[in-house]
Amino acid sequence: MTDKIAKYIKEEVANEPLTELDMQEDLLGSGIIDSVGMMKLVLFLENEFDVKIGPSDMTVENFLNLNSIESFLLKRKQETG
Amino acid sequence: MIYNLAQIIERSAAQFPNKEAFRCLDNAITYSKLEEQSNQLASYLIDAGLQKGDRVGIFMNRCLETATAVHGVFKAGGAFVPINPFMPVARVVTIMADCNIQHLLTTPAQKPKIDKIAAEAPFLTSVVGLAEVESPDVKAYTWETVFSRSLEAFTPPNILEQDLAFILYTSGSTGTPKGIMHTHYSGLSLARLAADLHDFSSDDRVGNFAPLHFDPSTFGYFAAPMVGATTVIIPDAHLRLPVSLAALVAKEKITVWYSVPLTLVQVLLHGEIDEHDFSSLRWVLFIGEVFPVKHLRELMIKWPHAKFNNLYGPAETVACTYYIIPEPPEVDEMVPIGTVWGNTDYMIIDSADQEVTKGEVGELVVRTATLMAGYWNNKELTERSFLRLPQAAGYDHIFYRTGDQVKENEKGELLFLGRNDRQIKLRGYRIELDEIEVTLLKNDQVEEAAVVVVETAEDERELEAVVRLVAGSGMHADEILNFSKTFLPSYAVPSSLRIMEDFPRTGSGKIDRNEIIKILEAQVYDG
Repeated sequence: MTDKIAKYIKEEVANEPLTELDMQEDLLGSGIIDSVGMMKLVLFLENEFDVKIGPSDMTVENFLNLNSIESFLLKRKQETG
Repeated sequence: MIYNLAQIIERSAAQFPNKEAFRCLDNAITYSKLEEQSNQLASYLIDAGLQKGDRVGIFMNRCLETATAVHGVFKAGGAFVPINPFMPVARVVTIMADCNIQHLLTTPAQKPKIDKIAAEAPFLTSVVGLAEVESPDVKAYTWETVFSRSLEAFTPPNILEQDLAFILYTSGSTGTPKGIMHTHYSGLSLARLAADLHDFSSDDRVGNFAPLHFDPSTFGYFAAPMVGATTVIIPDAHLRLPVSLAALVAKEKITVWYSVPLTLVQVLLHGEIDEHDFSSLRWVLFIGEVFPVKHLRELMIKWPHAKFNNLYGPAETVACTYYIIPEPPEVDEMVPIGTVWGNTDYMIIDSADQEVTKGEVGELVVRTATLMAGYWNNKELTERSFLRLPQAAGYDHIFYRTGDQVKENEKGELLFLGRNDRQIKLRGYRIELDEIEVTLLKNDQVEEAAVVVVETAEDERELEAVVRLVAGSGMHADEILNFSKTFLPSYAVPSSLRIMEDFPRTGSGKIDRNEIIKILEAQVYDG
């Protein structure tokens, strides 16, 4: 799951060329993802993993790094069965 | 009496030693600790060879260390140069070379970027904030090392109000960023005017939304500490996520909000603000671009206890006019930029530099205590930006030409009507369209380029580029866009680029940008 997300971020979202993307890397604070990139990423996650992501889900806790995105998606998938 | 920015923390530390001066999430620093640590940084910089007026780069995102960095450089007698850490390396190195930055202050999170910068900046001698830098000629010191220094032998330098305090780099139309120089006098004047107009006190908790390289941060870094208030630094992550931003502002009980209108609009539309208590807010200040009236009106109705102030001013003056909005505006009304604040005078002039008749449109020129000293290392550009009105031999009144078109209404309030050049504001960022075109033209496959602002179907404004390639070139649009990303900050990279066989032209053969906008907008609406 995170490989796919990391690939998408590196290829479609990142503001600067990235070779590696660490699981802990602060995606928002480091400037890798800006507001426009955030919108793209959310659309991608919704389509790719078949989840609904509402405005109230878009928090620092859920999107800080690849780890937090993964746990958020797993939790959401569990909730919706 | 205080007359320089280095005295701000010294004085507040004596008055409010145990009060929090700055905080950022769970980290905070008191005035007495900030006084000690900024002196330690100053002592380090002087030992490392810093001379009065030398430039020190601050390469950090929004974090607590920015406070020590700014005030430590002041205390050393240096001038700080905030560098946007999200800019491409090539642009960072251009700025550092332009003002000869030998010392860089940073944090461990920036290590990969600092290594790249150090490799291309031979004039760099030391970096504070890292245990090591890959370039052998650059010395690295951790913050811990700096903060373990003894201050016994430290003698503070003699800093006058005319001394250089900081340089803010902004987009330049020739393709090279230009450095706006501010002195201790202009910086302290700003702090005093801002604190006075908004009645800042030690009870305030001032939200600092702007990054250090964007001039509204002067309120949080200079004006708030001058009165012993607490500055709450909003982290980068929260600024991208309105739900988290709204929660943080409420939790921190911020009393003064100061951001670009876009941040307020996003919080209004997506921040779920009804879930939180914003009763601490006294002031909502905004600057940088026009606040869409329908959103402003809605927010004022939601937060009736707060006063809303529309500030205006280019970075060359930081701020110069204000308009405290008396009541939620009618939807189709234009909100004035108001009138000049203290220690400031203005005129509205025509193209021959003559004052226009009251009510006529003209360029706003301002004379103010917060005026920059000039552009770094660019006397010619500085003189062009000033209007000198001789009063006596050798004594001129100096007005700054804002480049903004305004007119005065019946009540004597100024209305902002646009630019007289190709500078634009997009999402609060100041952008020179000419700079983007010059950058695209650096690609040898590009023969001609035009960059325009297009309204999208969702009522948003976007940067779009069209280029004409040299004959026979097979270059793709994506390759040209990627090329521009290595020179331009991300907010100035066009959201799309199209290749055209030829451009629409005016009778004299010039590129007809208005026609290009029409073509691009028509394509948007046709889907």
